[in-house]
Amino acid sequence: MMRRMLLLLALLAAPTAAAGEDVTIFTAPGTERHVLTLDTATDLAAFQPLILAFQREEPDVTIRYREMVTNTLFERVRQECADGRRNADLVITSSVDHLVVLANEGCARAHRSAETLAAPAWTRWRDEIFGFTFEPAVIVYNRALMAREEVPRTRLALIELMREQPVRLAGRIGGYDIARSGIGYLFAAFDARNALVYGRLIEGFGRLNLVTRCCSGDLIQELAEGRLHLAYNLLGSYAYAAQRQGAPIGIVLPEDYVLVLSRGAMIPVRGGEPALARRFLDFLLSPRGQKVVREEAFFFDVSGAVPEGVEAAAPVLDAGNIRPIVIGPGLLPMQDRARRIRFLREWAKAIERSPAGE
Amino acid sequence: MTGAGPSLFRRLVLVITLVFGLAAAGLGSAAWIYARIAADEAYDRLLVGAALQIAESIATEPGAVTVDPPNSAFETLALAPDDRIFYRVTDPHGTHLTGQEDLVSALDGTPLGRMPVMADARYRGFPVRIVTLGRYVTGPGIAGWVEVSVAQTRLARLALARDLTLKSVLLVLGMSLLALVALVVAVRLALRPLSQVESAIAARDPKDLRPVAIAAPREIGTLIASINHFLGRLAARIGGMERFIADAAHQMRTPLTALLAQIDLLSAETRADLRRAQIARIRERAEQLGRLTSQLLNHAMVIHRREVVALTPVDLVPLVRAALAETVPLSLDRDIRVGFEAETESLVVMGDPVSIREVIGNLVHNAVRHGAPGLIAARIRAEAGRALVEIADDGPGIPPESWPEVVKPFTRLGVEPAGSGLGLAIAADVMAAHGGTLGFARRADGHFAVLLAFPLAEAGTVPLRLAEAAA
Repeated sequence: MMRRMLLLLALLAAPTAAAGEDVTIFTAPGTERHVLTLDTATDLAAFQPLILAFQREEPDVTIRYREMVTNTLFERVRQECADGRRNADLVITSSVDHLVVLANEGCARAHRSAETLAAPAWTRWRDEIFGFTFEPAVIVYNRALMAREEVPRTRLALIELMREQPVRLAGRIGGYDIARSGIGYLFAAFDARNALVYGRLIEGFGRLNLVTRCCSGDLIQELAEGRLHLAYNLLGSYAYAAQRQGAPIGIVLPEDYVLVLSRGAMIPVRGGEPALARRFLDFLLSPRGQKVVREEAFFFDVSGAVPEGVEAAAPVLDAGNIRPIVIGPGLLPMQDRARRIRFLREWAKAIERSPAGE
Repeated sequence: MTGAGPSLFRRLVLVITLVFGLAAAGLGSAAWIYARIAADEAYDRLLVGAALQIAESIATEPGAVTVDPPNSAFETLALAPDDRIFYRVTDPHGTHLTGQEDLVSALDGTPLGRMPVMADARYRGFPVRIVTLGRYVTGPGIAGWVEVSVAQTRLARLALARDLTLKSVLLVLGMSLLALVALVVAVRLALRPLSQVESAIAARDPKDLRPVAIAAPREIGTLIASINHFLGRLAARIGGMERFIADAAHQMRTPLTALLAQIDLLSAETRADLRRAQIARIRERAEQLGRLTSQLLNHAMVIHRREVVALTPVDLVPLVRAALAETVPLSLDRDIRVGFEAETESLVVMGDPVSIREVIGNLVHNAVRHGAPGLIAARIRAEAGRALVEIADDGPGIPPESWPEVVKPFTRLGVEPAGSGLGLAIAADVMAAHGGTLGFARRADGHFAVLLAFPLAEAGTVPLRLAEAAA
């Protein structure tokens, strides 16, 4: 009911900020001829340079940017698809497993162009989902609270650190609330493929009362303000953006393995402006768009170059070290109902165990 | 030549192309069917594998069934990278555990069991292949079959089937093309001797009737042999005609000169009695000339018939009897007995009745003219697979030393003025044309006999009625 209300408001093009949904309108710099509606689970701060760059190429396009958390976005698009209601023109989210489920159920429109075909194979599926960023999961720490040398470089080192300094770090380690953060869930699910390390890791998190937050922004802010010593598996792109803006944080690319996410874009079947959405998508994937992605928006790119200020072992982004989250049917079990419930239950059980209970 | 017919080469190539085209189409269809089966088999294995992996992850908790679809199941299915995947797991009570709740089952009346059941269906508008299999669970408060269905769209199957088909069709087309090229080359090579024959004959002087000498394969060899045989016959015939015309001209000229001389004498003669005698001589000369002309024409006719008339079954008995009756003059200056004797009712040979009658006539004429005093006898018998016709007379006959000579045209014995010397030559020619022989014999009773030996026709050959044959 609430959602219907929101949709109604959105259809009336009333610039509004309702709960769970922030709408920002980028009015066409020139004469407005088209309106492109983006439903995203991406920080506006990161995405804005891309929108502005696109509007420089097509000044007659007004862009409505609706931002929401990944799970909300997923439920919304899925419901629209099932009910046959109108979608946004383009959906952008870091939870690519959501997009895979949507495309699998036939909620996506295919698009093939020179730009899409030039993208690496692991970043696209069925010509329906297109990854356009390269974002590693990183360990972020507060430089004032932790010396660079004591920051763990591997997961085993992190487990070790948590065991050695339980008092200092209790309530000082942050992470995504994977029940609410799609990207947190995705990273955790991929970590869980290393069952032994993963088990010890969340056991450690449980002992030290992991601080869980829905979103990268909150965690980064708390790190910057010194309320957290360290956060695990944050999106490197957001952390790097904060670091660039002066936040006193350090960023570490894990040396055992680096999970890499390619943020996904999808054209839903019932978007009103498919041609415009395709142009926007091609722009994202084009060399011009990728330049903006690399320099202003997400700071990493497929080349694997590590931006200045990020701590990494020399050949850290060698192929053997990277574990890309391959966009494809392999992501379907991430959203398996039974699996998800069990995974979240086990995670919650481990996290919420009090240190005294040990 | 009967005009330019359709090109043999083009026709061959057309037929072969058609055959290859049809074969390629047939093989292509078969390849498509087999490729689809093969693709289904290949991807069905993946599908069953994934379903089994999901089934493996089924476990029981008190009062509940749990399932934890493993990544590996989806990675297995992701080998068909672009295909959609749907699945559903239902516990023994029919409660939906995970996956798409509305996914259909592959079961079509068959009971759920361990064995996977495959089916084709549509789900959410997509054509899919579905596998359904069961897993029996027992635990506290629960027992029964858990149903696992996994469905996958058909893109990869179709792509594989297309790929396989395309490859086999390309192979078939390639082979066909190769065969066609080989065939074109082979046909051109095979037909080359024909054009050699053609150019060899075209380049010839029209008078050159020597055999064509071209090395040719066996199949063409018979054609060349036929051409050479024909050329041989043509050469022989033209040679014969040239000789005949030369001889005939020569033969005609002598009596004509004599006749003119006698007419000159006649115009100078004043005495009535001598004039009468002279006229009688002129008349005799003219008759002799007439006979000669008639025999020359007969000879020409016989030669002509030998070349153009097909042999037909002929009964010699009535034929010889009729020829005898026709030829023996009704009035002669002497009394001659004519005998006819046939050992059988009928004796059939393959022959030309007109020529044979001519031969019999000639022989009887010879007998009468060359002085059979009182007997001409025809006898017919079969002997050693041959039909023998014997014309005998009680005259002096031909001395044995002359037998080889008399069968040549224009050979006369002694100074006999009345004969043309063609009769026996004609007879020999006719016999040769019948595959038979002409022979001479001095019989035990002193009579001279001419023997005509024909090969017998195959048993059971029915002769034409004489009237028809003669017509």
